Amino acid sequence: MYDRIFAGTLLLLSGLVAWAAAQFEVPFQYEPLGPKAFPFILSGLLAITAVWLLFRPSANDWQPTKNVLLRLIAALVLMYAYAAMYEPLGFIVATTIVGGLFSWKFGAKPMTAAIYALAMSVLSYFLLTDLLQLNVPAGTVFGG
Amino acid sequence: MDVLSALATGFSVALTPLNLFLVLFGCFTGTLIGSLPGIGPINGVAILLPLAYSMGLQPESALILLAGVYYGAEYGGRISSILLNVPGDAGAIMTTLDGYPMSKRGEGGRALAVSAVSSFAGSMGALMLMVAMAPLLSELAIRFGPAEYVMLMVFAFTCLATMVGSRPVKTLVGTLIGLLLATVGIDSGTGVLRFTLGIPNFFDGVDFLVVVIGVFAISEVLVLLEQWVNSELKLTPVGKSFVTFADLVKIRWVILRSTVIGFFIGVLPGTGASIASAVAYGAEKRVAEGDDEQFGKGDVRGLAAPEAANNASAAGAMVPMLTLGIPGSGTTAILLGALLMFNITPGPLLFEQQPEIAWGLIASMFLGNIALLVMNLPLIGLFVRLLSIKQCYLIPVIVMLTFVGIYSIHGDSFDLFFMVLLGLFGFILRKLHFSLAPVILGLVLGEVLEENLRRSLSMSGGDWSVLFQGGMTIGLAIASVVALVLPLLMKRLKARTRHGAPASELDD
Repeated sequence: MYDRIFAGTLLLLSGLVAWAAAQFEVPFQYEPLGPKAFPFILSGLLAITAVWLLFRPSANDWQPTKNVLLRLIAALVLMYAYAAMYEPLGFIVATTIVGGLFSWKFGAKPMTAAIYALAMSVLSYFLLTDLLQLNVPAGTVFGG
Repeated sequence: MDVLSALATGFSVALTPLNLFLVLFGCFTGTLIGSLPGIGPINGVAILLPLAYSMGLQPESALILLAGVYYGAEYGGRISSILLNVPGDAGAIMTTLDGYPMSKRGEGGRALAVSAVSSFAGSMGALMLMVAMAPLLSELAIRFGPAEYVMLMVFAFTCLATMVGSRPVKTLVGTLIGLLLATVGIDSGTGVLRFTLGIPNFFDGVDFLVVVIGVFAISEVLVLLEQWVNSELKLTPVGKSFVTFADLVKIRWVILRSTVIGFFIGVLPGTGASIASAVAYGAEKRVAEGDDEQFGKGDVRGLAAPEAANNASAAGAMVPMLTLGIPGSGTTAILLGALLMFNITPGPLLFEQQPEIAWGLIASMFLGNIALLVMNLPLIGLFVRLLSIKQCYLIPVIVMLTFVGIYSIHGDSFDLFFMVLLGLFGFILRKLHFSLAPVILGLVLGEVLEENLRRSLSMSGGDWSVLFQGGMTIGLAIASVVALVLPLLMKRLKARTRHGAPASELDD
């Protein structure tokens, strides 16, 4: 079932690719094969494989429980939030919050998780900025 | 260039203090990463790649570091296989078959030592084969024109489709997705913007690192979360046993055969450690026929074969990556992507024009393997203790490193959002049993494939039959057909003799 949905999406995608490629305006071209040809070939092959999968999907063996599904969604939201907080709140604050929540979700006690995340983010901030000289945001809300 | 003087050049690069440190550090980190359950070589290399890139290392130094992590992780993967019965990645699955029974009957130390020695011998043997073969292959490849490259890639994708993953169709879909991702951005020939959706971040293409980290590392976190249960893994004790001279005598031919098998399977494009170890194990079982009742119950031969083979394949996979620019496995695809980021195009000319990179890497692998053997015999206790690190402490570090790594490339939050999105996509692909390695291979090779296709058609004036002219293109076309048909025949044969090799979505 999931295979069929995915294959349908792929078929749609291959159509979109072909349509978008057809819209390319090529101002000049010296070669016999322009920028459109390769996407056309790929979209054609993708359409064939998608139709194949539509007719012969694999048996579906992924049956997540509601609990698992909730956990996955929570993790995705958490990572999305991390991406959103990363620049404005800065590395230390964002990592403490998100790292702590992740640690807690993977079974640490709330207090342990919080302390661990705080230590991890402060320690790695100085490791990453001083030792490795990486570009790690300090946080714009603090006037950084 | 004479091979020996070339090797000397290589050692002069590898023995500089910085590079020597990077070899040791890479091998140590690799073993560490490999021994953590669930995180295999591909994730280790993926997570460290942006860090190595942002640290401003020389290309050869970065490659030495990443390669160290790669084969270090191949060493480390056996620890959790043997002591926990949990393979760190697909290449370590066969190691559990005889390694875990040995440790269960109190011979954990012996099993670890046997596997360390086999890994070392496998790597060293494969490196010597590599030194012998790489210059020959690059001499052949120097005569490759664009048409030959197109057919070579067709061959690579065929091998990939028929030998990796659950179903050829699904591997093909993965490759096509990767190839499509590679077309995003400004077309190099005409300057036309393709599939950018009007987003400026896509104008110079989809960033390779963001895709790799998203599809592999982020999806791995999701998989770990899904499988997570609040229980302690039961670690079997290492014990005081150690490898004996009798063991070594017993496994010397096993190691030799498995090394050769592993190396050549590694050289084949797209096939990596998981297939190499499975084939070597099967071959040894057949060689031992009549005396094979101990296989699967803790036979040292059954442990030595996959370990020698998967390390040999790691070295073998480097050969086509360096000489042809076609990676032999998912992890070498990432290494190739790393080289491309440093504006170095691997290929036949690499050995002549930039010997410090090709030979420096090879020399560093000799040093790294010696270091790994030394590290793995006495320090094994340290790595074993790492196995008991709880995921609640590990996962936050992984998530943090992925974000730090990606942000440090462009300093733009957009990449972070895109990475998480790709992580979800990778997770869906894995749940539907699509291999991820083909996506990366497609992404890395997409531009080269299109460029060579266009160039060969320019030379022929638009005549497609140019792809089937000349001995080499026809040879490659025949090889592709063989690669398509042979596995199907083998599968028929195998179905009669024994159950098939384990298929895995996260191939090395």
